[in-house]
Amino acid sequence: MYGLEAISAYNGWAMAITGPLIVMSGLIILSIIISQLHKVVAIFDKKAEQTTELPTKNKVKSKNEISVPKILPNDILETAKIYQMIIDKIEQPFELNDIYKVAEQNNFPHPILTVSRLRDAGILICEGEGLFIWNR
Amino acid sequence: MELLLQFLSNTGFYLADYRHFVMLAVGSLFVYLAIAKKYEPLLLLPIGFGVLIGNIPFFKGFGLGIYEPNSVLHYLYFGVTSGLYPSIVFLGLGAMTDFSSLLARPKLMLLGAAAQTGIWVTLLSAMALGFMPKEAASIAIIGGADGPTSIFLTAKLAPHLIGPIAIAAYSYMALIPIIQPPIMRLLTTRKERLIHMPEPRDVSKKELMVFPVVGLFLCCFLAPASIPLLGPFFFGNIMKESGVVDRLANTARTSVIDTATIFLGLTVGASTQGDVFLTTKSVSIFLLGAVAFSIATASGIVFAKIMNLFMKEKINPLLGAAGVSAVPGSAREVHLVGLKEDPTNFLLMHAMACNSSGVIGSAICAGILWSFMM
Repeated sequence: MYGLEAISAYNGWAMAITGPLIVMSGLIILSIIISQLHKVVAIFDKKAEQTTELPTKNKVKSKNEISVPKILPNDILETAKIYQMIIDKIEQPFELNDIYKVAEQNNFPHPILTVSRLRDAGILICEGEGLFIWNR
Repeated sequence: MELLLQFLSNTGFYLADYRHFVMLAVGSLFVYLAIAKKYEPLLLLPIGFGVLIGNIPFFKGFGLGIYEPNSVLHYLYFGVTSGLYPSIVFLGLGAMTDFSSLLARPKLMLLGAAAQTGIWVTLLSAMALGFMPKEAASIAIIGGADGPTSIFLTAKLAPHLIGPIAIAAYSYMALIPIIQPPIMRLLTTRKERLIHMPEPRDVSKKELMVFPVVGLFLCCFLAPASIPLLGPFFFGNIMKESGVVDRLANTARTSVIDTATIFLGLTVGASTQGDVFLTTKSVSIFLLGAVAFSIATASGIVFAKIMNLFMKEKINPLLGAAGVSAVPGSAREVHLVGLKEDPTNFLLMHAMACNSSGVIGSAICAGILWSFMM
């Protein structure tokens, strides 16, 4: 059997109309769903944030956390007392990078400037080969 | 002397006929195109060499040929006839695919659906040319421009046509740089080709992780027959995006897919034995394959132009040509045609979105065709 007769006999027309309609509608639905996906993810993220925020409001500061004033005092010795808390956490001698890391983790204001002041004041002493010690 | 004559009568030289030489020439051409012209070498080299292996004449009954039970090639060919290799290829493909550009611009998914029109037009054409419905469906899927999908569906519906259909599908995939650009230029104006696509938004990791699950549910509920392809595909993708099994994802997108590709190409090539392959049916399949592939490319482009009639933010219609699922060949071609018009117009990322939706679309089509023929 050939030609239009074969197409009709094998139900070709119905297949050729139904098939693309199913594919198109399936992919349209998928595209609609994925276009909303970021909104759904954002809603879940927001809910997750809310549930994790509640206990943090009343949380007690852990032993490892250092309380830092928003502005460091002008007196370098006072500043050194605050930085002493960092020094207690790292082994001597240390690299300056170790101080920066702990300072950044605990939101110390302007760590690079402060470390420079501590060096100028002779509180941080260079031992050579990039290592420093704390002048107690 | 008698022994010598007996030996000579068993050699390939004695057993060869013109069909073997035709196929050996085809195999050599594929190897040449792969090595010298670098046309899809990952596909054409194994297939081309497979054609050479499969068309060396031999004495039937020794358990040597791919169609003889107990031969090594026959065992390797089991991965093709059972649909095993295509599923493994889809697993690796999923582990390679980045859906972020598709998630950033979901409307491009429609181009992947539109480009499947080639499949349905070819289904009618094949029926009109006298092919039985199952054969027609297997030929039509060439329009999806997806080798593994074509092999998978043919293995299920018309296993006797695997050779010509696989060769046609892979040949047209390899010939993308020759087939697609003229159609793209014919159907678009220069002004349209110059359209720049805006930067896609950032897509979160969570979206990328949720997509394979949503995609699997929706596509496989719609066409359960596509589970053997889309199941591994989305599994591969979630392995990649979850980031918790990097080792597995890496293996899937390298060693696993490479192994499957080697044996798939080699055995499909070897299945094209001249005496089985060179028939009028094979010639018709090649012609229908070309029609299917061209219509698929054209329908994607035309649909993009239709979308532009209704959209404020125009899309570059060249992207429609990437709706066929030849990954990443057609996306690359779209990008190159765009670059030729304007060296600052980078379409690759957007074209990959259409390309990956084309993979999903053609796998759904295969599932639908399979269920229609059940």
